[in-house]
Amino acid sequence: MECVVQGIIESQHVEALQILLQGLCGVPKERVRVHELCLKSGPNLGVVPSEVRLLCDLAQPTPSWTVRHVGGAMRGAGAEQISVLVRTIVESKVGHNVLRFFYSLGYKLDHELLKEGFVFRFQRGAQITVTVTSANKMPKLYATDEAVPVTPGIQLVEITAPAAAENYSEVVAAVSSFCEYLAPLLHLSKPGVSMGIVPTAAAAAASLMSNSGAKTL
Amino acid sequence: MPNQGVTLTTQILTEACQCVESQLGGAKDGRWKTALTYYRPALREASASGDLPRELLGVALHDQLGSYYFLLRAHRLILQADSSMQALMDKLQSYKPRVVLNFEGFQYRLGDFQVRVGKCVPSSEVLRGIMMEVEYLPLSSIEKSRQILEDFFDIWQDTVKKRSLPGHFILVEPNFADYGLQDHYTPQHTAVQYATCMTQLMAAVRN
Repeated sequence: MECVVQGIIESQHVEALQILLQGLCGVPKERVRVHELCLKSGPNLGVVPSEVRLLCDLAQPTPSWTVRHVGGAMRGAGAEQISVLVRTIVESKVGHNVLRFFYSLGYKLDHELLKEGFVFRFQRGAQITVTVTSANKMPKLYATDEAVPVTPGIQLVEITAPAAAENYSEVVAAVSSFCEYLAPLLHLSKPGVSMGIVPTAAAAAASLMSNSGAKTL
Repeated sequence: MPNQGVTLTTQILTEACQCVESQLGGAKDGRWKTALTYYRPALREASASGDLPRELLGVALHDQLGSYYFLLRAHRLILQADSSMQALMDKLQSYKPRVVLNFEGFQYRLGDFQVRVGKCVPSSEVLRGIMMEVEYLPLSSIEKSRQILEDFFDIWQDTVKKRSLPGHFILVEPNFADYGLQDHYTPQHTAVQYATCMTQLMAAVRN
């Protein structure tokens, strides 16, 4: 299981967000460059359709692959009340022939994206991961070098933390608490529940940049 | 492979283990277990399987508990994954496990060799086969160790004959290159050997 919230931020404020995250997390950022391929089952395969995501980490000298299945969200009155999405997730590291494997099983490529940006991973009541990326689409199949932004000027911020049935409420509390620190710069909410851009983001970003002595180009 | 008219029993397995211990002087080194799972595609329309593979094989090896291997024999493809991959396939519900075969028994150390002798038991618990896995520890090159392993197998056949075991062992010789595997031996080679072993066992049972 994992807890997850998402939000969007204007690219011009990403540097300020990075300064804020650096101060809060106390760990260095890591580069993100992931080629994400979303595969869906062919027309006759499976009693119900299924979807799987293949993630190729291009930030390392040798690309490595992970396969990920995102399951259903927790439901019920309790789930409605919390501001964090809790969902099942299964992941596995896999060999580099995973794409050929799933094609052979009867899966088809639905869409692909190149996600570029940075990530902070740290412990704060839970093992929290904050990823800030721009989503880019490829004009030709698998052409990661020719990717262009899907939403120029806007980047996605995602906060996730692994959870189990026994401890998800503590993890939810840890994630919610952390989100409050980022409130001046961005709204974070359940995926699919868009809250838009924070009106005070520009002022907050300017404050962060002047406090850090950094200059926005 | 049991002789014609002979039923495979655990007694034969016990005798094979005793060959390793008494005749060859093997030191018992614990138990082992490998599981093979045959998956079939779940189809919305049973009659329209199209290009879908009829069979997907999953292998959980005795000494690679954190890994799982998927084989598509028709495509000569082997995929290495974490053990969580089994749970992932279960979530997808596109391929469902139909038959599970457990290989389990004892392992022995004989000098530079590690030998595993065990039974092949499906979930129905009827003994289907007896198999043996021989590992030559000093070398990782398949070509360089080929002669040594063949010599070991010849010694084993002689030992088994002297013991009047009601059957004989058949050497499994998969084509690793078909799966894109190199000369350097890896757990993926072992997974391919189990898949090939099962193909031979099922062909023998049919005959």
